Amino acid sequence: MAGVHLEGIVKAYGAVQVVHGIDLEVQEKEFVVLVGPSGCGKSTTLRMVAGLEEITAGDVTIDGRRVNRIAPKDRDVAMVFQNYALYPHLNVADNMAFGLRIRRMPKAEIKTTIAEVAQILGLTEYLDRRPADLSGGQRQRVAMGRAIVRHPKVFLFDEPLSNLDAKLRTQMRAEIKRLHNRLGVTSIYVTHDQVEAMTLADRIVVMNDGRIEQVGTPMELFNNPVNTFVAGFLGSPPMNQVRGVLTETGAKVGNSEIKLDAKVNGHVGREVIVGIRPEHVSLRAGDHTSPFPVALDLVEPLGSEALLHARFGDETVVFKTETGGDIAQFSGVDHVHVPASLVKIFDAETGQAMSFGA
Amino acid sequence: MVDHTSSAAVNEPGREVAQDGHWIRIVDHFKREWQIYVMLLPMILWFVVFLYKPMYGLQVAFKDYSIFRGVAGSPWIGFEHFETLLYSDQFARALKNTFMISMLSLCFGFPVPIILALMFNEITNQLFKRTSQTIVYLPHFISTVIIAGIVITAFSPSAGIVNQFLQWLGIEPIYFLIKPEWFRPIFIGSGIWQEAGFSSIVFLAAIAGVNPSLYESAVIDGASRWQMMWKITLPSILPTIIIMLIIRIGNLLEVGFELIILLYQPATYETADVINTFIYRQGIQGAQYDLAAAAGLFNAVVAFVLVMTANTISRRLSNTSLW
Repeated sequence: MAGVHLEGIVKAYGAVQVVHGIDLEVQEKEFVVLVGPSGCGKSTTLRMVAGLEEITAGDVTIDGRRVNRIAPKDRDVAMVFQNYALYPHLNVADNMAFGLRIRRMPKAEIKTTIAEVAQILGLTEYLDRRPADLSGGQRQRVAMGRAIVRHPKVFLFDEPLSNLDAKLRTQMRAEIKRLHNRLGVTSIYVTHDQVEAMTLADRIVVMNDGRIEQVGTPMELFNNPVNTFVAGFLGSPPMNQVRGVLTETGAKVGNSEIKLDAKVNGHVGREVIVGIRPEHVSLRAGDHTSPFPVALDLVEPLGSEALLHARFGDETVVFKTETGGDIAQFSGVDHVHVPASLVKIFDAETGQAMSFGA
Repeated sequence: MVDHTSSAAVNEPGREVAQDGHWIRIVDHFKREWQIYVMLLPMILWFVVFLYKPMYGLQVAFKDYSIFRGVAGSPWIGFEHFETLLYSDQFARALKNTFMISMLSLCFGFPVPIILALMFNEITNQLFKRTSQTIVYLPHFISTVIIAGIVITAFSPSAGIVNQFLQWLGIEPIYFLIKPEWFRPIFIGSGIWQEAGFSSIVFLAAIAGVNPSLYESAVIDGASRWQMMWKITLPSILPTIIIMLIIRIGNLLEVGFELIILLYQPATYETADVINTFIYRQGIQGAQYDLAAAAGLFNAVVAFVLVMTANTISRRLSNTSLW
C-alpha cells in the first residue's frame, strides 16, 4: 500500500513554528491537493514528505515505512518543482535519464523507459533539445517526465503550474489529471490556486497558518465548509459573508431577513455570519427564497454569465448569474433572492460553521 | 502626408508609417537618457587620458626617438626596432620566459580558484566557511613589496621557514632565489597564494546563482554531493569559467612584473626575465624609449591576437564569448 501517512508533523525554524502538528492519511492511488494562501505551510509539509526539510516532530510514513530519518533518494518519491528544476546544460533525454543513470540503470533500459515516457508526454521529437529551447508547457512536461521515468511510489508536485499562463495552465491541469488516471500513482499536489485544487483533487486539504482547516472531497468542501476561512477560500468568486443575528425563522441581515430551512431553536439572538455563494442567488423569487436588497454598482460580463458587484450596507457582495446574452436586464436590479436551503451560517465569534437540527 | 487618424490604415499593406528622422530620434534619446551618459563620462575621460592619449606615443616604436626632438620631431625608421628585438638574445629569452611563466600560471593558477570555490561551497559550517574565506582572501590585500619581502624571508637560506623545514628533514639549505630552476615555481606559487582566494569570489558568485531546486531535484534523484558538484555545479558555472579564461588569456602576456623585479637578480634572469622587465630595463634604466615602446607594442599585438583567438574558439565550441 503506497499510501502516505502524516502524524503530528511539526516544523520549526529555531523558535518559530511554521507547521503545527499535521495529521493526514493519503490513500494509495489517491490524488490529494494541499491548498492554502502563501505561507500557510503547504510547501514545507510537502518538502518534509520529500525529505528536503527535516521534520521537527511527528512521523511521516510512506508505504508503511517510517521515513523520518531516511534520505530523500531512498523514500521512492519523485518531485516536480515550481520552476521545473531542469538541468540547463542537458537535453531533454539526458534530463529525464539523470536519476536513472545515478541509480545505475542499464543503458538499454534507460533508453526504452525514456522513449516510452516521451511518447506518453508527447516529447519524442524534443528529446535532443535543451530546456532553453522549449516552451513553458514543454518544460513542464519534461519535469513530469523526469518524475515518471523513475516509477516512484509517490509523486509530489510543488505548485507545478504557477509559472504558466492561464491557457496553458488549464491544458496542463487536464494532462496531469489524465496522467494520474492512467498511472494511478499516489500524488500529493501543492497549490495556492483553488481552481487547480477543485479540478484535480480526489480530496482537498485546506491549510491556513500551519494548520489543516478541513479535509474532504472538492464538493464536500464547497458545499459544507467547516469555517469562514474554507468558505472564503474555495469558490470563485468566494462565498459572500455578511453579519447578521439569528431569529426564530432565519437570520436578520440589515433590515431584511434571510430565511433558513433549519430551526435555530436556542440560538435566537446570536450574532452570526451568513454565507451566501455567489452562484446560489437568483434574480427571481422562488418557493423557499428570501429577498435580499442590494445596491448594484458594477456588472462584469463574462459571456454566458455575469458578476454583479453590489453594496449591502457597508459590505460589498458579489453574485454570479446567467446573462442569456443580455446584460442590460441587470440595470434595474435592486433585490436578489436567496434560497433558504443553501444559506450557510457561521458563528460570528469563532468563524465555525453552525449546524441546527432540521 | 500620412494619415494618423485611422489606426486601421497603418496596418494596410504597402502603406507607409511616418517615422521621426534619425537625428530627431537620437536627440530624443539623449534628452531621455542623459543621466546615463553623464555617469559614463568619467569612465570615457579615464580611457581617453590614460589609454587613448598615450597611444600617440606608440609611434616612437617606429622612430629614432630623441627626447630633445620630441615624438613628432624624431625621424621615422620603420620596423628597425622590431628587427633589433627579434635578433636580440635578451628579447628572445624574455619572450620565451613570458610564455613559459604565463602558460604555467594559467595551467596551475587558473583551476585553483575554481577548486577553492567548489570547496567553499561544500562547507556547511558557516563559521569555518567565513574564517577560511577571510584567510585565503587576505593575501590579495597585501602590497606586492610586502609579498616579495615575505617570499624572500620565507626562502632565505639562513632563517627562512622553508629551509628550516628542509634542515629538520635533514636536507641541506637551498639558495632558492639565486637558482634559476626555482624561480618559476616560487613566482607562480606565490602568485597563486596571493590571488587564488580573491579570484574564487567570481566563481562563488556564479555558484550562488545556480538554481537551488536543481540540487533538491538531484537529491531526490539520489545524487551524492560529489555527483552534484560534477554534474550540476561545474556545468552551471562553465560559462563563467570560460569568460574568466578568455580574460585570463587576454592578459596572458601581462605577467605581474613588479613581483619579478622585486624577486629576480642577474643570476635568475635566465628564467625570470620577461618582456615587461626587459622593457623596464631598456626603457627606464637604459633610456632606449623607442626600443622599449617597440617591445611593448609587440607584447600588446600578441595579447590582442591571443584574446581574439580564444574568444572565437570559445564562441564556436561553447556559444560563450566576451563579445
